[in-house]
Amino acid sequence: MASRADMATRRARACAALLAQVHGITDKEGITPSALHAIKLKLVALARRAELFPLSDFTMPEAQGRTHPLLLEDNDGHGLYLTIGLPGKEAAPHDHGIWCINAGISGRERNRFYRRTDDGRTPQHATVIQVGEVVVEPGHGMAMADHDIHSTEVVGHEPSVQLALYGYALARFPSVSWFHPAFSSVRATASRRHAA
Amino acid sequence: MTNTHEAFQVTIANKAQTISCASDQTILQAAIAAGLDYPYACATGNCATCISKIENGTVSLLPRADAALREAQVKTGLTLACRAQPRSDVTITWLARTAG
Repeated sequence: MASRADMATRRARACAALLAQVHGITDKEGITPSALHAIKLKLVALARRAELFPLSDFTMPEAQGRTHPLLLEDNDGHGLYLTIGLPGKEAAPHDHGIWCINAGISGRERNRFYRRTDDGRTPQHATVIQVGEVVVEPGHGMAMADHDIHSTEVVGHEPSVQLALYGYALARFPSVSWFHPAFSSVRATASRRHAA
Repeated sequence: MTNTHEAFQVTIANKAQTISCASDQTILQAAIAAGLDYPYACATGNCATCISKIENGTVSLLPRADAALREAQVKTGLTLACRAQPRSDVTITWLARTAG
């Protein structure tokens, strides 16, 4: 059985290899739907190697959701994380402003996709309609372009453990827009793009 | 259908206004329904825009992200209005900005 240090080394190598593959794809194609799909397949393949991500190596949430950095690239590069969400953990429809790809290691998270239907002219007002749904679980993932809108909810009785790859590290995220169909509202969090 | 959820009085100290909030409603939902400009963004326990101080009373919290509200903060009386459902009459102050 590999020691914890050996496992961390193997995991770090696998994550670095993934990011090398990602850059191989994006250097050739840019950030296109087909590139995001190709990256999703790579991330799903890495998430299938669940032995690299034993929960004993990652602190469980003290509430219901926690994010662990796996590899944060220098020079404003990508961020690869392991996320843990407990049943009931949710996020309202939101637009990250940057592409993201998720792949399931264990558990199930429902992702619903939306399209904005208003003209965006009224401040803090927005309407959205659902246009799709996927469940991120082992063997499955999802990819979103820069301004796609999704909501999430951990379903079932197990924690949802996933790999999450973002175009930027979370600490360098652009403004995130949050949509609330019940109130026909939209609110934005401040951009972190100015952060060091 | 009869609504069997108990309602409590929630005082938003920043506005010196008291609203009714059912036990299955979050304080943020009740505030928005009452027309109050309570600060919020995600409304699902992820961003902490609605972080608030419970001055009096007790609440129950819906699921949230650790990064939005730590257990140690809960112990000091902080809460997320978007996740907090009243379990008694409550007085609450939002911390995000001084005027809404």
